[in-house]
Amino acid sequence: MVHLQNVYKVYKNGVNALNDVTLDIAEGEFVYVIGDTGSGKSTFIKLLDGEEIPTKGIVEVNGINVGKLRFSRVPLYRRNIGVVFQDYRLLERKTVYENIAFALEVINKPKAEIRQRVREVLEIIDLTEKTKSFPTELSGGQQQRVTIGRAIANNPKLLICDEPTGNLDPERSNEIVELLERINERGTTIIMVTHDMNLVNKYRKRTIKLDYGHIVSDSKEGGYIANV
Amino acid sequence: MFRLIGRHFKEAFQGIFRHFGMAVSCVMAMTFMLLLVSFLTLLIGNVTQITRTLEDDIKVFVKIDSYVEEDKIDTLKGRVEQVSGVKSVEYSDKDQELDRFIEGFGEDGKLFEIFREDNPLSRAFIVEIENGYSISEVSRSIARVDGLKGVDFGGTTTEEFIEVLNSIRKGGYVVVLALTLLAIFLISNTIKITIYNRNREIGIMRQVGASNSYIRQPFVIEGIFLGLIGAIIPVLTSIFGYKALYDTWDGQLISGMLSLQPVNPFAYQVSAFLLLIAVVIGFVGSFISVNKYLRWSR
Ligand SMILES: Nc1ncnc2c1ncn2[C@@H]1O[C@H](COP(=O)(O)OP(=O)(O)OP(=O)(O)O)[C@@H](O)[C@H]1O
Ligand SMILES: [Mg+2]
Repeated sequence: MVHLQNVYKVYKNGVNALNDVTLDIAEGEFVYVIGDTGSGKSTFIKLLDGEEIPTKGIVEVNGINVGKLRFSRVPLYRRNIGVVFQDYRLLERKTVYENIAFALEVINKPKAEIRQRVREVLEIIDLTEKTKSFPTELSGGQQQRVTIGRAIANNPKLLICDEPTGNLDPERSNEIVELLERINERGTTIIMVTHDMNLVNKYRKRTIKLDYGHIVSDSKEGGYIANV
Repeated sequence: MFRLIGRHFKEAFQGIFRHFGMAVSCVMAMTFMLLLVSFLTLLIGNVTQITRTLEDDIKVFVKIDSYVEEDKIDTLKGRVEQVSGVKSVEYSDKDQELDRFIEGFGEDGKLFEIFREDNPLSRAFIVEIENGYSISEVSRSIARVDGLKGVDFGGTTTEEFIEVLNSIRKGGYVVVLALTLLAIFLISNTIKITIYNRNREIGIMRQVGASNSYIRQPFVIEGIFLGLIGAIIPVLTSIFGYKALYDTWDGQLISGMLSLQPVNPFAYQVSAFLLLIAVVIGFVGSFISVNKYLRWSR
């Protein structure tokens, strides 16, 4: 599903964000990416969704060489991956329903299909009773669930989340991970960047740790042990 | 499909209303620039017409050497016709030349009838020059043909005048081009603001995979729309203003020697040109802006 081969990323200002990263993530996996601030986690995410291009090495997602993707090809590629960020990035003038439908409208899905799929998504994120609410009327956790709903609206094979629980209290964070687990069970591969070691220890998954752009540990059984 | 286009139109109008002040100043600047373009286009059109009239009137008289025998005239004529820039050659024998000479003196010319018997004039070719060629250059080339005596083209003043008109025309093109580029820059800056206003929305669209052209469309519509609104006053000016000017001068310049382009179709052609250029400016300006943005944040 995701394959990185000796990937380096040097930003224009000379920062070495990723150094010789090689890893494979299989279809259906749920993977945490952890590491101190500035260790390159977000850079890794940006390489996956085509926002950034590797300085050296190969980034392959779903058999597509993302680093070599032409500008005009990026949109089509993105339809197969969902992305969620720490800030919710919802459209305040649109309702929950409209925010999710938006993701399908802008890729020209037929209206009937949109209606049906948004219903399904609302079920998955458990917000059917908030369909007509506006983002400002929702709690942080609910807003993040809408963002996740929007990210999975087009049934992506891969869902990448950059600190999705960064702004949430432990209870809401748990709900988010449990939601991601449910999405994972339906076959979507999940990569989640997080700082929250409680989550990593509670919901055990494969955990990749970055430090100064290097992979310093990659543990299948997961859980966080200090000073690895 | 229609639903989609409708959506884009709606967004384009929303864009304009969301930053109305900006849109108004953009349209005003656009109006001013297109007014200049309109004025220059009207000028260029008329200058072109006048140049052509002048060029049509120019005939070059080439005297034939007296040693050339009568039956060689045709060959010689053929050779002059070969010279590049020559449109047509007409032969005029001694008698006709005398007629022309006498005519040139009006009433008093009759006096010269006495030369009819022993005609001192040379036979000549009357040469018309192709439009766009330099008269003096073509004349010089003709003069190099054997058997010709002298080349005389109705004075250099006309040619100099044509040169001046040509410079006006070329200068006009340059200024129109410069104004167009400036207007493109203006539109692209206005659209840039709309883009930043909708930053978040575009970000989401990109994230979920909306195509570049889908994202571009409402902005391009807005750009074209701004261009077209800016063209309204210039179009009206070029139709009614030109009509007024034409009527005031009775369609002529320098007491009837040169005529202006008639209002119909000329003013309408200029208007169509203005609309076209407004669309192009709106399209290119907004296109550049959106593409820059899309490339900047891949
Ligand atoms: N666009 C950029 N231009 C230049 N340098 C950048 C850019 N983005 C990130 N960096 C630098 O690259 C390094 C890695 O950044 P990255 O955002 O990947 O870290 P991170 O692990 O996500 O950190 P955090 O936990 O704070 O989100 C940092 O030193 C950062 O300053
Ligand atoms: Mg980060």
